[in-house]
Amino acid sequence: MRATDEQLVEAFQNGDASAFDTLLGRWDVKIRGAIYRLVGPNEDVRDLCQETFLKAYRGLGGFKKEARFSSWLYQIAVNACRDRQRRRRGRTLVSLDELDPSDVRLLAVSALEVVEGRDLSRLVAAAVEALPAEQREVVVLKEYEGLTFLEIADALDLPISTVKTRLYRGLGQLRQRLERQGIRAATPIAAPMP
Amino acid sequence: MQCDDLRDDVLDVLYGEASAETERRVAEHHAGCAPCRDELTALRRLRRDLTAWRVPSGLRPALKPRVHPVRRLAAAAAVLLALGALAFARPMQRTVLAFATPAARSLMVEQETRHRRELESLRADLERSAAQRERALLTRVEAMVRESEARQSMLVQARLGEFGQVMDAQRQYDLAQVSAGLTYLDGKSGLQAARTAELMGHLLVASQKK
Repeated sequence: MRATDEQLVEAFQNGDASAFDTLLGRWDVKIRGAIYRLVGPNEDVRDLCQETFLKAYRGLGGFKKEARFSSWLYQIAVNACRDRQRRRRGRTLVSLDELDPSDVRLLAVSALEVVEGRDLSRLVAAAVEALPAEQREVVVLKEYEGLTFLEIADALDLPISTVKTRLYRGLGQLRQRLERQGIRAATPIAAPMP
Repeated sequence: MQCDDLRDDVLDVLYGEASAETERRVAEHHAGCAPCRDELTALRRLRRDLTAWRVPSGLRPALKPRVHPVRRLAAAAAVLLALGALAFARPMQRTVLAFATPAARSLMVEQETRHRRELESLRADLERSAAQRERALLTRVEAMVRESEARQSMLVQARLGEFGQVMDAQRQYDLAQVSAGLTYLDGKSGLQAARTAELMGHLLVASQKK
């Protein structure tokens, strides 16, 4: 029978060091994917992933089982990404609200590609990347990592209502952006709550 | 009920986290509110679109953007400083390694190996680029010297040509002068001889009359 993450954590805390290997094998790919989507293609994803697991290894002994292991691991990954982006100079995150609709430069997709290629994957990637960091984190954890609202709230140390507000705003901005690129016919979007 | 009051519930429904009670509440509202119904449909479509973004199988970008040489040098300096710091950190690292599990140890070893590889590659890059710069400079200087020599040689040839022409002209002029002088002398001596002969003739006639 497959041991749960929490059972493996307990085994590790009781001295079974191999339990960490199992956890690593179980979460490596998912954490890499999350980091890639959080920081974008220009950062060293492998390096950030290693940093995440090293921190997890060092902190696992003191991990309290109040939160799920996955939430805790994602929390470490998100913090590593935040630290890395804070250290990066010369990069400014721009809210979609501040963008000129005709300006596709920030999306790293040329107008020609938009017209000819309709490269939905790149458009989606660019639209998510253009989200403010706090919305991007929630969108990535919910949409791509499949965490529950409670798990995201644990991972980001936020109330569930804040998580939902950020997600709602993020989805609204993604809709607007993709509709501007002609991905879907425009449908009215309810004004986000203050 | 206001549409905004149901926003969190709609998200629960959208992501399949709604309780039966929440599902019923949202369905009731949507039965009488077309904009909210449309919005949920649009959000479902958006979720389908979002799945188009796949993580590439090899996460590491194949080509990193080229780094400006000055930045590269700055990075190399930073790496050297980091090396210095590493020298102090090594005892601690060994302690951590001693207590690490195989997975963590392999992570650390892999990380260190990668850093060392990157350092070596940076150092090699620096040496290569210095050697390349030196070679390029040498080639350029050689080309400049060759160009200069060619220019000098052409100049000398041109000057020699000009000198030859001047000499020819001068020679021809002098020859013409000499020739004119000789002709003049010839003429002069011929006239003199004629006069002398005439005088001699007169003297001869005069002496015969006496």
